[in-house]
Amino acid sequence: MATAIEAGVVDELELETTNPWDPDTDVTAQNPIGKIPALTLPDGDVLFDSPVICEYLDSLRDPPRLFPPDGAARWRALTRMALADGLMDAAILRRRELMRPADEQSPWWVERQLGIVNRAVDAMEEEASTYDGMDIGLLTTAISLSYLDFRVPDLAWQDGHPYLTAWHERFSKRPSIQDTEPRE
Amino acid sequence: MKLRYNPTSPYVRKCVVMIEEVGLADRVERVMTHPWAEFTDAHTVNPLGKVPTLIREDGSALYDSAVICEYLDTVHDGPKMFPASGDIRWTALRRQILGDGIVDAGGDALREKRRVEHERSPGWIVRQMNTVDRCLDELELEASTFDGMNIGLIAIGSGLGFLDFRHPDHDWRATRPNLTAWFAETSLRPSFKSTEPWEWVPEDGGRMNTWTGWPRDAAT
Repeated sequence: MATAIEAGVVDELELETTNPWDPDTDVTAQNPIGKIPALTLPDGDVLFDSPVICEYLDSLRDPPRLFPPDGAARWRALTRMALADGLMDAAILRRRELMRPADEQSPWWVERQLGIVNRAVDAMEEEASTYDGMDIGLLTTAISLSYLDFRVPDLAWQDGHPYLTAWHERFSKRPSIQDTEPRE
Repeated sequence: MKLRYNPTSPYVRKCVVMIEEVGLADRVERVMTHPWAEFTDAHTVNPLGKVPTLIREDGSALYDSAVICEYLDTVHDGPKMFPASGDIRWTALRRQILGDGIVDAGGDALREKRRVEHERSPGWIVRQMNTVDRCLDELELEASTFDGMNIGLIAIGSGLGFLDFRHPDHDWRATRPNLTAWFAETSLRPSFKSTEPWEWVPEDGGRMNTWTGWPRDAAT
């Protein structure tokens, strides 16, 4: 969504609220993996997962694009995106584990995922003073931190991460982040 | 360049098949790494603690496998594995996600099976293997159009190899003749033959995992 807003194509999207955890969900008809987001194109083709959808949406706009076309800027942006996605994956795995019946939970697994989240935030802090401008790496980074605020507020990721905190506060003023704040 | 490598990982396999297909084997050293070992150093090069991670000449690290493969595709002059633009690009990327989707769900099921019994959720295993089957069904519909080699097909081949390696009792071939035939043929390519997964248990809890070179030669 944030990419669509940044790319100015959000009005072309029709949103279908989907709960992939609903046993009767029809999302598998569009995406065999059964996950959201999935984007149905005008010709009926379906794209997934989020990096592919974002790159497609970004390709619909004029440069400069969120996906730098080549060179060091591209690899830096894509690796930052992978780091932020990895952070969210770990936070989701941890959350999913904690939602299992108490006797089916693995404390080891919960700790492992939390360790990944913490290391990812540390790595972001190390680079935060060089964060500049806007690309898909930074957009995903901001979204992943907002996700932590939403789902893991107790973590207080801001503690000990002053550069990242300051950057996130500034960056979150963008309409694309404001308009896509997660809610229950 | 150095690739953090593990012979069991289908995501690593994508990168190595890619390396073999585009002729970069001489330029990428493999560093045996076991992200699940107690004393692994995987997280020192990638905060997510995962393989594959590619360390470039300037010391910077790239991940995940999709990013590594796309980067590697820019440093050779042969036929490209990532179509530059248009429908064929989105088709290839979508297929990459389907191949990875088999691995994600199949890996999830595998980890669930390996839990101590009282922490195991049988329903979760079924759910994940259903996802695997839906991906396979989709690929069966498309398999007659698979042509040549690109990142989508590399990921699918790696995903199918992973199923045979980790879920040998999951008979995915029975109802999927086109996919079966494509995989049989693809498995004969040198890039796939030389990257068949094999079990590797690191010595000393992973402290020794920075051995470099050609793992097959070292194992024998």
